[in-house]
Amino acid sequence: MATAAADTRCRCATLGVSAEAAAILLAFAMRESETPAVELGSALERLGQGLRPASAPAGEALTRDLAACVRALQFHDRLMQQLAVIRNLLTRLADHPLPQMAGFGAQRWEELLAALRERLAAGSHDELFELLVRTGGVGAACGAGAGQAEGSSELF
Amino acid sequence: MARILAVDDSPSMRQLVKLALSSGGHEVDVATDGVEALQVAEKQQFDIVITDVNMPNMDGISLVRELRRRTNYRFTPLLMLTTESTAERKQQGKEAGATGWLVKPFDPDRLLSIVTKVLA
Repeated sequence: MATAAADTRCRCATLGVSAEAAAILLAFAMRESETPAVELGSALERLGQGLRPASAPAGEALTRDLAACVRALQFHDRLMQQLAVIRNLLTRLADHPLPQMAGFGAQRWEELLAALRERLAAGSHDELFELLVRTGGVGAACGAGAGQAEGSSELF
Repeated sequence: MARILAVDDSPSMRQLVKLALSSGGHEVDVATDGVEALQVAEKQQFDIVITDVNMPNMDGISLVRELRRRTNYRFTPLLMLTTESTAERKQQGKEAGATGWLVKPFDPDRLLSIVTKVLA
């Protein structure tokens, strides 16, 4: 009995350390990719300034390419947002004392999930989290659902 | 040509919005969150404010609410540009006084046409 409890404590501690390490690695990776993305944005801005006014056919083609770059680079920003949410969840998991408490079961799991849900700011993050919790992975359904509203606009 | 304030906590998003709007001949200033945006907006008048929703210090919906309290921004178009697309959040934006809700990723031409439309 005592050996089993010690084994559970050990596994919980390992889980906490792994979650913390994963959060730190994510934070480093995100920071590392931020500067190149900003440099790319600055380069595009300079290109855009050089193109004005885009009257020549070559200028028009470059303007179209520039617009494509603007659209594409936004997915980096989205990735960073999703990674920030995952980093926060991992940090929360590492900090959360629930798994180390005696009698960790379905009720405690629900409490942990509720605590994690509180940290989700955007609706899309919430949807992503629910999918992960239910299925253990993100399938095509998530992409299809998220894609419907992308790029939409509504004037009130 | 309009004078536009773009508010986003992401440096790359600020650059992209500025790039897209500058290509249409607009003059674009940027702010990193709602608090900085309010400070900038108090120093100079903008024709449009385009803001993200989720930002540190002050979110976009609170920023819109604050701007609407100021007489010089009562009728200024205030657009939300965000990854959020739930009806609940849109309703919050509408109630705060937002003029429109745009979901990222934005298309530069579409953004320019919306800006032209709300300025008309």
